[in-house]
This record gives sequence, C-alpha cells and structure tokens, in this order.
Amino acid sequence: MDLGHVHGELWTVKTLFTYPNEYIYWTIHIVIYPFITGLVAGAFVLSSLYHVFGKDELRPVAKFSLVFSLALLFIAPTPLLFHLLQPQRAINTMLTPHFYSAIAAFNLVYLGYMAIVISEIWFAYREYIVQQSQSRTGVFKLIYSALTLGSTDISEATLKTDHKIVKILAAIGIPAACMLHGYVGFIFGSVKTVPLWKTPLMPFIFLISAVISGVSICIVTYIIGMKLSKIIVDNETVQSMCKALKWFLVVAFVLEAIDLVFHAYLAEESWDILSDVLFERFGFRMFVVQWGFGMILPLILLTIPGIKTLRAFIAGALVLMGVFMMRWDVVIGGQSMSRSLAGFLDYHMPILPTSFEAFKEGLSAVIILLSAPFVLLYLLNLLFPVFQGQRLVKREPEKS
Amino acid sequence: MDLTRRKLLKMGMLSVCGTMIPLGALEIFKPEALASSLVHPYSQKKRWAFVVDTTKCVGCGMCVKTCKLENEIPFDAEVQRTWIERYVLTKKGDVLIDSPHGDRYGFTKNDPEGHDLKDEDTLKGFFVPKLCNHCEKPSCVQVCPVGATYKTDDGVVLVDRKWCIGCGYCITNCPYFARFFHPVFNTAEKCTFCYHRISKGLKSACVDACAFGVRKIGMLNDPDSEVFKIITTQRTAVLKPEFGNEPHVFYLGLDHIVR
Amino acid sequence: MNHAWRPLILIVGLAAVLLTVRMFLVPSDFMAKNGDYKYQWHRVGNEKFWRDEFTVKHKGREFCKQCHEDKIELVADSGHARVQCENCHVMFNPEKKGHPVDLKADFGYLLDIGIDRSRELCKRCHSKLPYRPKEFTSLTKGIKPFNMIDPQEHNPGEECVDCHDVHRTGFK
Repeated sequence: MDLGHVHGELWTVKTLFTYPNEYIYWTIHIVIYPFITGLVAGAFVLSSLYHVFGKDELRPVAKFSLVFSLALLFIAPTPLLFHLLQPQRAINTMLTPHFYSAIAAFNLVYLGYMAIVISEIWFAYREYIVQQSQSRTGVFKLIYSALTLGSTDISEATLKTDHKIVKILAAIGIPAACMLHGYVGFIFGSVKTVPLWKTPLMPFIFLISAVISGVSICIVTYIIGMKLSKIIVDNETVQSMCKALKWFLVVAFVLEAIDLVFHAYLAEESWDILSDVLFERFGFRMFVVQWGFGMILPLILLTIPGIKTLRAFIAGALVLMGVFMMRWDVVIGGQSMSRSLAGFLDYHMPILPTSFEAFKEGLSAVIILLSAPFVLLYLLNLLFPVFQGQRLVKREPEKS
Repeated sequence: MDLTRRKLLKMGMLSVCGTMIPLGALEIFKPEALASSLVHPYSQKKRWAFVVDTTKCVGCGMCVKTCKLENEIPFDAEVQRTWIERYVLTKKGDVLIDSPHGDRYGFTKNDPEGHDLKDEDTLKGFFVPKLCNHCEKPSCVQVCPVGATYKTDDGVVLVDRKWCIGCGYCITNCPYFARFFHPVFNTAEKCTFCYHRISKGLKSACVDACAFGVRKIGMLNDPDSEVFKIITTQRTAVLKPEFGNEPHVFYLGLDHIVR
Repeated sequence: MNHAWRPLILIVGLAAVLLTVRMFLVPSDFMAKNGDYKYQWHRVGNEKFWRDEFTVKHKGREFCKQCHEDKIELVADSGHARVQCENCHVMFNPEKKGHPVDLKADFGYLLDIGIDRSRELCKRCHSKLPYRPKEFTSLTKGIKPFNMIDPQEHNPGEECVDCHDVHRTGFK
C-alpha cells in the first residue's frame, strides 16, 4: 500500500500559497448530488402543478414526472456514498445524528420526502395496480398483489378518496420538495469558511435552479419518450412546461446576479481572490457557458412565440447543461480559491479509471450515476406505465 | 375526515422525527445557551491552551518531523497535523508565502515560493508555526453529522476514527485547514495537542522538539504555566478571530500579512 | 378498515422497526457529555483511546540516558542543551536507521534510531537565512549569537561532523 498517498492529491493542482492540508475535498459527487436532488424537486413540483393547481394541459406528464421523480430520488444519495471515505458507516448518520450539523437531517428530509412520493404514486396507481394483480400472471402477479397492500377495493367511492389524497400529498409535497432542495442549498450556504458559498441566498438559488432543471429534464425526457414510443407530442403540454420554465429562469437569473453583485459591492477581504476565480479561472465557464448558453439563450428561445418541439427540446437541454455547470462552478469554484486568500486550487477530474480512486472519483462513476436514473425509470415504467391513460395517437406508419 | 387523515400523517411523521432527535438537540431552544459571553472567556477554565512565539522560530521543522512520527502520519504523505509557513516581504513589495512539504525537511534556502532571492532583496521575513487551534467553539465539531468529533472537558478537539464517516464536512468548515484525511485510516485527522502525552504529564511532541522555545503548552488556569504567564502579561493574537471559533492557540509576533 | 390508512401504517411500522434496530446499534457510551449536544456529542470511550491507548513514541532524554549518560551530560553543557537527542537521531528515512540494541524488542521503543551525518540535517537550523533570528535566547546561560553559515560557501561537500563535535558544539 502506498502510504504517501493523500486523498485529494490525485485531482488537485495547487498554485501560489495554499495551506499544506488544503485540497479539493468536495469533488464531482458533490456536484452531482445537488444536481440530481434538484431534478427530483423540480420534477415533483411539475407533477404537483397538475395535481394541485389543476393545470390540465400538464396531465400527460403528471404521472411521468412523478415516477421519474422517484427514480431520481432513489439515485440521489448514491453520489454521497461514492463521496464518503467510509461509506459502510453511512448508517451512523441515522444512529447518532448530530442535528447541529446541516447534513445530519438529510436522512429525515430524504426519507420523509420519499414516503410522500411513494405514497402519492401508490394512490395515483392504485386502480391500475389492483387491475393488474387480477389480470397478470407469474412474477408480475406476485409483485402487483404485494403492491395492493391487501386492498382490492376499487369502487367509485374509494377511487374518489384516492384522488383527494393524491391532491393532498402533492400539496404537502411542494413544501417538502422545496425543503429537500433548499436544504441542500443551506448545506453550502452555511459553510462559513468558503466566501463564495456563504450567502443566505444560497437555499433560494439552489431551489430555483432545481426547479428549472427539473422542468427541463421533464421536457427533454418527455419529448424523447414520446418519439421513442411513436406517440405524437402534445404541443400544449410542452408549451405549458416551457412557460413555467421561462418564468423560473428569470427568477433564477435574477437571484444569481444579485448574489454576484453583493459579493462585488461588499468587496470583503476575500473579494480580490474571489473575483480572480470568478472572472479569470471560471470566467468562460460561468459567464459564457452557465449564464450565456444555460440561461440567456434558452430564455430567448422560450420567449420567441410559437414554441415547437425542437425548440423546447434545445432550450431544455441547454438549461440542464447550464444548471449542471452552475453546480460545478459553485462546488468546485468555491474551493478553487485557497482559504489562505493567497493561492488557487485547480480541479482536474480523473478521466481514466487507472486506480480504484480514479474510478470512484472520476468520469466512469459520473457516467454510471447520471445514467442510473434513466435505467431506473425504465424499470419503474414496467410496473407503473408513465404514459398510460393519455391520448394515444399513434403515428401513421409511413408508406414506402 | 380528510383533515384528520392529514393530521395523522403529519403527527406520524412528527413522532418519527421526534423520537430520532436526542434530548440534547433541544438545547437550541434554550435562549441562555445561545447567548454567548461577549467578553472573551479565557480565565478560570481548566483548559489546555498553546502559545507560539513566532519571533523565535527559525523554521527548522523539527516539530513537524517529530509530530508526524509521534502521531503516525505517514511521513511522505503531503498532509500534516502541524506545519510551518514562511512569510517573506521583498523589496519589490511582493509578499511570498510558502510551506514546502509543511516544512518537515526544514527551510534551508532563501527560496520562498521557488524564487531564488538574494539576501538583500528581502525586507522582512519570519516563520509561523501552525496547528489545530482547539477552538472553544469549534465549527468543525458543530458540523459533524454523526458526532465523530468532539471537544473534551479540557478543551481538546478529537476525532473518533471508528465512528467518522469520511464526509469531509469538518475539513471544509475549519478556517485553518488543520484537518485532513488520514492516508491509512481514511478518516478525518487532526492535531490532538498530543492528548496521550499531555494527559500523562508530558509535553506535546512538537513542544519537546523545539529547541528554540517557540512552542508552549499549558493549562489556561494554571498560574505556574508559561502559557498563563504569557497570555496574562503580553500582547497575544489569534488567527482568524472573525470566524467566531475562539481559537486557543495564542501567537506572539503575528503580522498583518499572516494568513 | 379503510385502504387509505395502509401506506401510513406501513410507513409508521417501518419507522418503528428502524428505531428499534437503532437502539441496538448505538454504542452504549454514546452521549452528549455535560449535556453539551453541540460540542460533546460523542462515544465517550474514544477519549480513552487518545488518552491511554495511543502510545507515546518520543521518550526524551531520560530514555536515552539509560545507556548514554556520558553523551547526555556532554550535550547538557553545550549550546545544544535544548536540542533533544531524538531531533537528530530519530530517522524518518528507515534506510539510515541502525542501533546496536533492538530498541523495539527490548525497550518497546517504536521509532527508528540512527545517525544522520548529512549536511542537510545541520542546515535545518544553521543554514543562513536573512530572516532567521540572529540571537539564540533559549539557553539558561543567556542570550548568544546564533551560528549560521552559508552552505554554498562554508566548505561545500564536506560533512559538518568532520570538523564539528555536535554533542559538545565545538571543534573536534
């Protein structure tokens, strides 16, 4: 065993004066974690827009975004397990939680939220589950029978109750989703040693960017899903989603801009080096990629009237990329300036899995983690068809 | 009827959450516990404290070397519980700061940050030994999600290697970067003031190793200790007081360029 | 029984199971000492590890004195009076280690003892840097000028110990 190897050395390049123990300790997984959690919150809020506020044009994606939210929710804590140096001890956070720590409440927030999402799915799909448990055979019959929880009553009255409960759960779910992600923002905002993170705006910035990324991934996945299953894309649905995305984009942009303006105007001790990080080292990434291509360009695309599928798809994909970049810029950018205020740390993500650590902290793990929700969505879709019960307008097969 | 169901759901969640919260967590609701003393409270407490006299330090790094061997931090690993920083102000007005390998091999050349300086190019320079400040209000302890790091009754901040999950939140929350991951145990690691030595009446390994009398350790309330004498009679400073951690490593001869 | 209660019963049941399991897994000595949940929430047994179980490795002059009393006396009277034997004789580089008696087996002494004659060792203190303190204030005999040399000009290539007796801090 190489005893000289230090966690952080592999991907950190130091320049000028940094403390000897200073490395980028929070790496790519802490970028992915808020990204996926944000998608969860955003997707759930989208489904709630239909259930609670009765936005009927969102009906085709209501169930889809709900189930997708669950798929993402299952994956959300895995980046954290990758990040921990002692993942087998993750259970300790539940055994002896220290609630003075911002991250100790994660389990409660996470499990509480999961209970809400799973319950809502159960009520939303109960009729389908009962029907399937009676009509299917083999393994699926077993699964569906277990999922009925022993209640096969699908009379008019019970279904009405189900609808009411779904509505209630969706309503409870909105503040819960906001908490889940606002809380992630708090984890960063409460770190007093990192000037870039230390702002009370952090929970709100994270929350709004969560919503835009969640709506975007629903737009993108919905369009892809429709194309794959050769169903005509409901333009009204897409337009409605785009409208929501547009307004949240404006709020997100304003919040991020206010944050930057305050840092610059207050010009505290750290601003010299912070501005160097933001404008020089992260300048292109932040202002061109994250703001330009991730917010302003999609905003223009969404503002021009007469949105069609392709434009919505491009805008959604750009926003997703922008939000991922934002997570990167916040997490890595915050650590890129030395706490000595006299040096820099550059992050170079390991690409090739040349060692276990390079695998665990590198590109391979990223690909696995980012594709896992889609695999899970595919599996969940087998049990809970997400596009069931909508206008199934099959395309005419083209004649050759 | 719906309302009662919703109520029950809420009550259920609340009771689940409630039972998980230890009673101590409710301390946050006690206002008197939150009202911190506004005047710095070093005084009557039986508490370990440290004094660093930077004016005497020559940067030989014997303390760093000794600390690494005493505390089983692999010698070649680029992390240390204590280290020495060199600050040099050049005639051009540049402030050069460095700490190659945490100074475990000593400073033997006038080459701050790799610049080959002539002796006459330097206006002033000095060495600043650093170590964990064993704060009275350690932010690293506050943020540990599992209670794997804690403050002892005599003020020393320790890490439980068997309970630490390796999240790195404490490392991120230390203003001084006194923490790191142990290369072998893969848990958070930090200076303990050599708790195994000071509890037995010995001095910390770095204090013993310093031939120049730079480092001193003692009880804050012990009138015979050098630490008490220095703190009560001389003008000491602490590093980064603005974070509100109330660090307990007191410095003599600190300069405004010290980070 | 109304079907709508079932998920809730399931959730509360699961939570109850979790809490029961938790009771068995939390170490019995895990507590908020002095009621200080903020800073003293820990496994109290761990204090014992750092206080008692962690071994003292640098044992100081008293340990060396068991065999090397002559050297200890010599040093105590010299300019190196404040320098611990272990500063120079504990080797971080195991290749340089070498001690006639197996200290680990016979004395339970865990560090590698050896003799390092390299200039690098002496340079750590005696290499001339413009910002090194010019006076040595730690001796009981009073303040003395601190001896520093420029290693580039001061007999480069020679070993310091060829001329200097480091235990006596004088010439051989």
